[in-house]
Amino acid sequence: MGFNENQTATIHGSEPVVSVAKPELINGSHAVIQSLIAEGVKTIFGYPGGAIMPVYDAIYDYQDQINHILVRHEQGAAHAAEGFARISGEVGVCLVTSGPGATNLVTGIADAIIDSTPMVCIIGQVASHLLGTDAFQETDVMGITIPITKWNYQITTPDEIPEIIAKAFYIAKSGRPGPVLIDITKDAQQKLMTKPFVHKKTETLLSYHPRIAPKDEQLAAAAKLINQAKRPFLFVGHGVQIAGAEQELLQFIEKTDVPAASTLLGLSSMPVDHPNYVGWLGMHGNYGTNVLTNQCDLIIAVGMRFDDRVTGDLNRYAKQAKVVHIEIDPAEIDKIVKADAPVVGDAKKALEMLLPLVNENNHEAWRAEFRKYDAIEDQKITQPELAPTTEKIKMAEVIRTLSDKTKGEAVIVADVGQHQMMAARYYQFKKPSSYITSGGLGTMGYALPASFGAKVGAPDREVVAIIGDGCFQMTIQELGTIAQSGLPVKIIILNNNFLGMVRQWQQLFHQKRYSFVELQNPDFITIAKGFGIDGHTCAKREDLHASLDKMLASDKPYLLEVLVEKEENVFPMVPTGACVADIRLE
Amino acid sequence: MTSYTICVFTENSIGILNKITTIFTRRRINIESLTVSETERKGISRFTIVIRSESREAVEKLVRQIRKIIEVLAVFGYLNEDIAYNEIALFKVSTPIGAKPLDIETINKVYKAWVVYWHLTYVIIQKTGTEEEIFEFFDYIKPHEILEFVRSGRVAVSKSPQTLVDYLPEAEWEYYQ
Repeated sequence: MGFNENQTATIHGSEPVVSVAKPELINGSHAVIQSLIAEGVKTIFGYPGGAIMPVYDAIYDYQDQINHILVRHEQGAAHAAEGFARISGEVGVCLVTSGPGATNLVTGIADAIIDSTPMVCIIGQVASHLLGTDAFQETDVMGITIPITKWNYQITTPDEIPEIIAKAFYIAKSGRPGPVLIDITKDAQQKLMTKPFVHKKTETLLSYHPRIAPKDEQLAAAAKLINQAKRPFLFVGHGVQIAGAEQELLQFIEKTDVPAASTLLGLSSMPVDHPNYVGWLGMHGNYGTNVLTNQCDLIIAVGMRFDDRVTGDLNRYAKQAKVVHIEIDPAEIDKIVKADAPVVGDAKKALEMLLPLVNENNHEAWRAEFRKYDAIEDQKITQPELAPTTEKIKMAEVIRTLSDKTKGEAVIVADVGQHQMMAARYYQFKKPSSYITSGGLGTMGYALPASFGAKVGAPDREVVAIIGDGCFQMTIQELGTIAQSGLPVKIIILNNNFLGMVRQWQQLFHQKRYSFVELQNPDFITIAKGFGIDGHTCAKREDLHASLDKMLASDKPYLLEVLVEKEENVFPMVPTGACVADIRLE
Repeated sequence: MTSYTICVFTENSIGILNKITTIFTRRRINIESLTVSETERKGISRFTIVIRSESREAVEKLVRQIRKIIEVLAVFGYLNEDIAYNEIALFKVSTPIGAKPLDIETINKVYKAWVVYWHLTYVIIQKTGTEEEIFEFFDYIKPHEILEFVRSGRVAVSKSPQTLVDYLPEAEWEYYQ
């Protein structure tokens, strides 16, 4: 038999659960919540179900200490936790049930591992005596999530709970952050602990020792290369924001006068109007940054992993350059690009320690070369995008107008596709932690849930989700979560009735054979209104300013649909497998 | 193709084998042999994994990925000359009445193999050694008809004078018993 929910039943028909409780002992579910509170968790994104119901029962008693946001699908919980974590630097927490609840989280967990996002997922599991019996809503979530978690662990007794949760938070947040999954059997949630509850934060583990301060000899070797370089080029990765190294980065850049470019996830680590900022790298990055990657004599890569979207063809990537690679994860060193001077450590600590070792320098002439390419890009791409002569609105002008109106200070949560690249290109980021997007996994449907997660993490900042019409329909149900929680997220749908990026590739590489990329879309505004969210559609250029003003003036969630040009392409572009220097402008 | 022996030291916990093998699976690296047991230190398991690879660089990357697993305390990749290593094989060999008798002296003295079980119609011979030595013996005994043959994974220790504890975090390590 199983056991019923009234806390007086027995497990396996014999072992008393609560009836012989010593008054000071709590059950596993309360231990879960008290551990979360002890770890400083204030918000949980979750969805209840059978195998996690005891924990939900416990949450009922802690509503004054823990804010639970009920999502509409577990994938939404994962992305919301990611959005929260990315903006706050804290660990995002998801709480879901076994089986489908757990498998629905998988996309978000995979997204979090590749984008190094700290997350703790607490998952209910069938009772331990049912494990391996194909019980109702049982799935081997441990097996499923091994390749996509930084760590996972199955708890079968309540006494393990405080220690494992402490360990989970430490692992998720320290070193290179990532998602941790804890699977808790239902009996472990229901049974009483055999000893009084004590939660002690973990600060060290036997087998896991992330290196924060790099070794002196590594720093010395890096400084030597930096001081010798004539054409150094600094790449700003996501690790800068994870480490909170924005100030150290600026000090380093200003002392050495190196030009600096950002990866997609590194965007907003430094202000775009900084004289040393030369743009972003990669497939849809800037013209000069890509071409000059193959002309610099030194790459200083900080907290980035040489993703294939950044490097293009590796056989023709920066062969002339030496490489200093500052990275907290030793497995990233030499993984893609061989480092001449690896520096294993936290970006903040590494830059801080490197600063006194590097010489003051002047690279004005070298930096000026980027501006030559900028001028070409500006003339061929940026200006036609921002001041179009076409009738239909272009994505770029929506983004740039939004950027101007929000003074570059909003948090932009972009989904995946052309609008993501346009947001990266045309929003002029002034503040750190302002661009949140699914970089590594490229998860469509990410932005809507991530945006309300971000709003929870930064309630005082304007959060604007930029979403394509395809992406929006992947997690459209999270409008319900936004409406219920009252989080004043602003949502812009750039609607071109296409899966735009796929269509672009089909146009460029598949002879315009537009295979299943045109969408018959619903009336998004009516849908939003059905959820109780106000919104309107902007179809004409002359209405764009007023539409954005109206959206920004609202103190409630708001949906703005902008009907944009149907067949628009994102350029520049480094086609897959091409060399970065062969970046296409058309 | 070069043989590499990868020694992984882990906390002895449920699921760790899965966590390690998935690193190989994902990179399409075949495991030639795998042996696991607890080490001389309580709670620490040692995995000895043999792979073949054309690229030392690929093996180095693999080692770093294995080290990322939280429960892993240390990982070492070795070439054959860096280690003392052996395998154990059991041969069930047919000995029917009237057949050519086994030359026990050769088996013992030349091949350093031992009969560990006698039956009326067959014997079980144990042979330890490297893969090459085991297969040399295989060729020798084959004419007698091998009814069953099983070979263990490799066990290996480094020839370096350093001990496991030199690489482990400082702790009060108890001996395994």
